[in-house]
Amino acid sequence: MDQYSILGRIGEGAHGIVFKAKHIETGETVALKKVALRKLEDGIPNQALREIKALQEIEDNQYVVKLKNVFPHGTGFVLVFEYMLSDLSEVIRNSQRPLTESQVKGYMMMLLKGVAFCHENSIMHRDLKPANLLISSTGHLKIADFGLARLFSNEGERLYSHQVATRWYRAPELLYGARKYDEGVDLWAVGCIFGELLNNSPLFPGENDIEQLCCVLRVLGTPNQHVWPEITELPDYNKITFKENPPIPLEEIVPDTSVQAVDLLKRFLVYPSKQRIGASQALLHPYFFTDPLPAHHSELPIPQRGGKRSHQRLQPPYEFSVDRPLHESLVDPGLIQGHAWGCF
Amino acid sequence: MFSLCPCSPLSVEEEELQCKDLIMYHNSSQRKYWTFENEETLEKLRYQANQKCCAKILSGKAGLSESLLLDPLEEDVVFKHYEKRLLDFCAVFKPAMPKSVVGTANMYFRRFYVNNSLMEYHPRTIMLTCTYLACKVDEFNVSSWQFVGNLQEPPAGQERALQQILEYELLLIQQLSFHLVVHNPYRPMEGFLIDLKTRYVALENPEVLRKTADDFLNRATMTDVGLLFSPSQIALTAVLNSASRAGLNMESYLTECMGLRDDKESLSKMIDSMRRIKNHVKKYEPPNPEDVGACKQKLERVHAEFFPNASSKRKRGYEDDDHVTKQHQAVEEEWTDEDLESL
Repeated sequence: MDQYSILGRIGEGAHGIVFKAKHIETGETVALKKVALRKLEDGIPNQALREIKALQEIEDNQYVVKLKNVFPHGTGFVLVFEYMLSDLSEVIRNSQRPLTESQVKGYMMMLLKGVAFCHENSIMHRDLKPANLLISSTGHLKIADFGLARLFSNEGERLYSHQVATRWYRAPELLYGARKYDEGVDLWAVGCIFGELLNNSPLFPGENDIEQLCCVLRVLGTPNQHVWPEITELPDYNKITFKENPPIPLEEIVPDTSVQAVDLLKRFLVYPSKQRIGASQALLHPYFFTDPLPAHHSELPIPQRGGKRSHQRLQPPYEFSVDRPLHESLVDPGLIQGHAWGCF
Repeated sequence: MFSLCPCSPLSVEEEELQCKDLIMYHNSSQRKYWTFENEETLEKLRYQANQKCCAKILSGKAGLSESLLLDPLEEDVVFKHYEKRLLDFCAVFKPAMPKSVVGTANMYFRRFYVNNSLMEYHPRTIMLTCTYLACKVDEFNVSSWQFVGNLQEPPAGQERALQQILEYELLLIQQLSFHLVVHNPYRPMEGFLIDLKTRYVALENPEVLRKTADDFLNRATMTDVGLLFSPSQIALTAVLNSASRAGLNMESYLTECMGLRDDKESLSKMIDSMRRIKNHVKKYEPPNPEDVGACKQKLERVHAEFFPNASSKRKRGYEDDDHVTKQHQAVEEEWTDEDLESL
């Protein structure tokens, strides 16, 4: 612990307070998340074990927040993460005007790359939501908080808890009490986040679990065996019935959105989990290849922690293109040298 | 003209799963940190752990005879005894414990004593702590009371056991370097059986191999193979060994189905690994009860004399002694000012 000096408090996570700190030796800024061992009779909480388990096994990925170290401290242990400036919920909350289409695409692309990586590594996150998508000082989005994550290729068919995922982003099968589910729950959440980015407000803001289901049903229509054959096997299917209600076209739910965006959104927000578009497949959707192209991370807003005004950084003086080789995007230092000196 | 793929969608899916698992092992902490070069490396680490503990005990105690302490061979005898107890405990556990949980628990136990001496940490507590942690990590959800309820002890003994488990849990995950995921050979074995059924027509009913292969894997858990080889190598050895026991020659599975016919180097490496795995398993002998008795006696004496307050010293994760005495209302711990000052 004496390797770090505390710089301040970042916020409260699922297990306790998160601090911003500096690694004294390297000068690197990190986030310290302390897992206190409360004197519970079951010992180290499962959530903490899951987080360590998931993060220790996956290799570095640009779109997943990196666990740099774990060490014991006092009455528990400390998880050391790379420091991130903000998160997507703050971006949505603080943006002065709705995000541009190209910015939304930029975020979606990074989110999908991160989710694709987790799923390829047999990890389902189970709690994707804007607050768990951290934003770095360079505008990169990284998935965090693997406290509910679990490896899904375990042998046998074990039952999972359905009380996962924050309500607004919870997939319909979970709302119906499913104890067996798959990475589709993450893809549903991705769809909800996508809708929220497009609309600048949550898609299904249910205030309780029943209302949550109503919100979803109102938009997608009352499910039946025809559109969702597995529904009859879900534990809570018979406990509650809703009156027949036709779906509302998603075009009306996310107005003023491009045809491609609506088409992609539709592929996430479907009842049968297996029919939801996979993350790596979604990355190939025409949405990402039609004008305006996804924003480069340097064109994305970087809000400060604590809700200070976001400051848009200077735009590069050219249109960014994903096809352009990287070195062409770099500014030749020689060109700006004279100006730079002038600034000082 | 295109023809439809003859294999059923299920088998394709299964193969994908297998493949995913392989990728997982490949990048795993198990491969990176807990698969050792060779037998000598393991032996050396255990020797060092033993020496370190002996030095700790002997320092400042002039005239103490080293013969009171356990040497690495004696430690091994006691280790084997408690490992067997761990497996027996899991075998009769209620509700029935999945194999992967047992495999994980056993692997934790082995990993722990690569770098630690039994003289310092009593294997009885460590074996229970390993099993308890494995249940949690592998999502085999039993409550702590349900867990100790499986001990053949009166309630007071169960409570004491639970207290010890919780005391040692943090120490254990530290000693495991927070590497909690264990890859067991059970899944790869299922994969091989599926593969044999789909692609290896020479064998009529691969299921006949299962029983002997299972026995092989059970025996293999009581050896170092899990610390030396990949789970799929162990599983393949189990399957091929079972075949050769049944008088079946499956060499063509390696050369044809595995595509190793023209890759002589990989083939000979694989055959060599399998031979080593088989040797380990063949060599395994349960410890002699008389030796166990003598070594255990020695161990108890060491614990009583040199680590009498072991548990109170090692209570890393908890501050006071009565933490399990149902203080449900215990305040949530946060970072205190003292914490900050100590940084």
